[in-house]
Amino acid sequence: MNAHQSVSIVMIEDDEGHARLIEKNIRRAGIMNDIRHFTDGTSALDYIFNDDGGPARNGPALVLLDLNLPDMSGTDILARIKGGDAAVRRTPVVVLTTTDDSREIQRCYDLGANVYITKPVNYENFAQAIRQLGLFLSVIQVPDLGEGG
Amino acid sequence: MAALDIRAILRDKGIGRRLRGVMVVAFLALILAGGAAVWMTGRSQQHIRAVSHTYEVENAVLDARQLLERGETTRRGYLLAPGQRDFLAIYRRSAQALPDALKRIRRLTSDNPVQVAYYATLLDQVRRLVVLREESIARITAGDVAGARAAFDVEHSALPMASIRATLDRMAREERRLLTIRERDVATSERMFYVVLAVAGILLAVAVVASLLTVLGYTRDLARSHDALRALNAGLEDRVTERTADLTRANEEIQRFAYIVSHDLRSPLVNVMGFTAELESATGQLSQLVDRVEAEAPQLLTDDARFAAREDLPEAIGFIRTSTQKMDRLINAILQLSRQGRRALAPERLDIAAMVGQIRETLAHRLADADATLEVEGDLPEIVSDRFSIDQILSNLIENAVKYLRPGVPGRIVVRGHCEGSRAVFEIADNGRGIDPRDHARVFDLFRRSGTQDRPGEGIGLATVRALVFRLGGLIDLSSALGEGATFRLSLPLTYASQETVE
Repeated sequence: MNAHQSVSIVMIEDDEGHARLIEKNIRRAGIMNDIRHFTDGTSALDYIFNDDGGPARNGPALVLLDLNLPDMSGTDILARIKGGDAAVRRTPVVVLTTTDDSREIQRCYDLGANVYITKPVNYENFAQAIRQLGLFLSVIQVPDLGEGG
Repeated sequence: MAALDIRAILRDKGIGRRLRGVMVVAFLALILAGGAAVWMTGRSQQHIRAVSHTYEVENAVLDARQLLERGETTRRGYLLAPGQRDFLAIYRRSAQALPDALKRIRRLTSDNPVQVAYYATLLDQVRRLVVLREESIARITAGDVAGARAAFDVEHSALPMASIRATLDRMAREERRLLTIRERDVATSERMFYVVLAVAGILLAVAVVASLLTVLGYTRDLARSHDALRALNAGLEDRVTERTADLTRANEEIQRFAYIVSHDLRSPLVNVMGFTAELESATGQLSQLVDRVEAEAPQLLTDDARFAAREDLPEAIGFIRTSTQKMDRLINAILQLSRQGRRALAPERLDIAAMVGQIRETLAHRLADADATLEVEGDLPEIVSDRFSIDQILSNLIENAVKYLRPGVPGRIVVRGHCEGSRAVFEIADNGRGIDPRDHARVFDLFRRSGTQDRPGEGIGLATVRALVFRLGGLIDLSSALGEGATFRLSLPLTYASQETVE
């Protein structure tokens, strides 16, 4: 995990509570990577594409994406990321949302989502799912960008 | 359009009566013509008989006359030439044939008093003549030719032969007269026959024309109202399609709405539950701290703090938990209902008895625990419908029956079925605790339950059943009274026909 210290997690989640719970449980799984939290799609996309520390210009990143956002649909953000230039396109996207509609899941994978996770309502399950996601994050390889990383 | 239809229907009734009338007239005309023909045939046969009778009479009169004339001629010949025996022979033959000829006349004319009177005169005259002739023949044969001639001269002055001829002529004339009368009669009959025929013909023609006009008018009206009906029908179909589309759209809207609502309700619930859990673990930490403080520095601990950490917080958290869990179950129920509404139905041929058998196997344990039996009574109709939905419906109803049996009474759950037209009716009857008639409509509503609340449940089962039944184009109702068991009556189309628009 320390090998991926530079991988920053971009969390796009409009619900502050969910964001807090996700962060807590990721930390409990031992993931200490930097987590950037955005509550709307516009600022999140701005960070991803334009920020100096964002995945488009700088080191590897991983996106945690909620589909229900106030200003735009999560699938639009997914489409933008997966339709962007190479650096952004390679960024793994984990869709983490309450929707378990099979058509929605299909659509996300069609758009290039790497993982789709449904948020369980039951907190024990939720916490466990996030911790497992943390474990998962600790072993997956995020593509290197250029000579850095 | 509607007005036209009504007029057509009114005419409909009138036309039957009118056609019947025309038929009766035509039939009467035919009977008249037939009767006239029969009568006329009879008349002409009578006439033919009369004509031939007249000729026969004339013939007989002529025969008699000829015999008499020949007798007279031969007598005179014999008188002139007594040696000629031939005359005598011919005379004898004529005299012999004469009675028969006279008898024939009498036979033929016995029905006519005028002729009978003439005949009597004739007979009298002939007798007298025959006596005179016999006398003169006898005289000649005896050789007294002169005496015979003298007697003949005396006789000749009395002209017996001439009066006979006159009588015979009168008889022939009388017969001719009768024939003329009869011919006149026949001519009258014939005229009458033609009149009757003409009347019948006119009646028939009128009937034909009337019925033709009626039928033509009716056909025209029929075609017009048919067109109107077709236009109306097409409009109606369009309207039905439109309404169905509207309803389907509204239904889809509700489904989508339920789905979105339940998802958006779920999202805050995740927070409530999540932070409650966080709170719980924090409370755990806090109560451990209280424990340690109590052990190490009891003077720092107030009763309130101890009470808050050990009683108030866990209690509050417990209530929040059970409430959120319940809310979660309710949201899940709505979600499930809306999902079932969105699920694509796959109709197939279903053996309901076999499906009930499978449910019995699944519930075997619970049936045994409740001391209950599940039976299929008689043959159940096969239907074409969605297997999953029907299974859900039957399972829910049967599970309910098992769930709400009367304690201490062995349960008996019966599934019956029969066909009613194009629909199959299934009944799931139990001898359980029954449902208060006041609650019959309520039990099908979401989250509503009836009776003693001593069994776990959210009031979702029957709501799901009703939603599924409606979606399959069916109906469900319930007859029950408290303590008398309940019978759920399910009416489904034998073949499921989709009314939903293809998405």
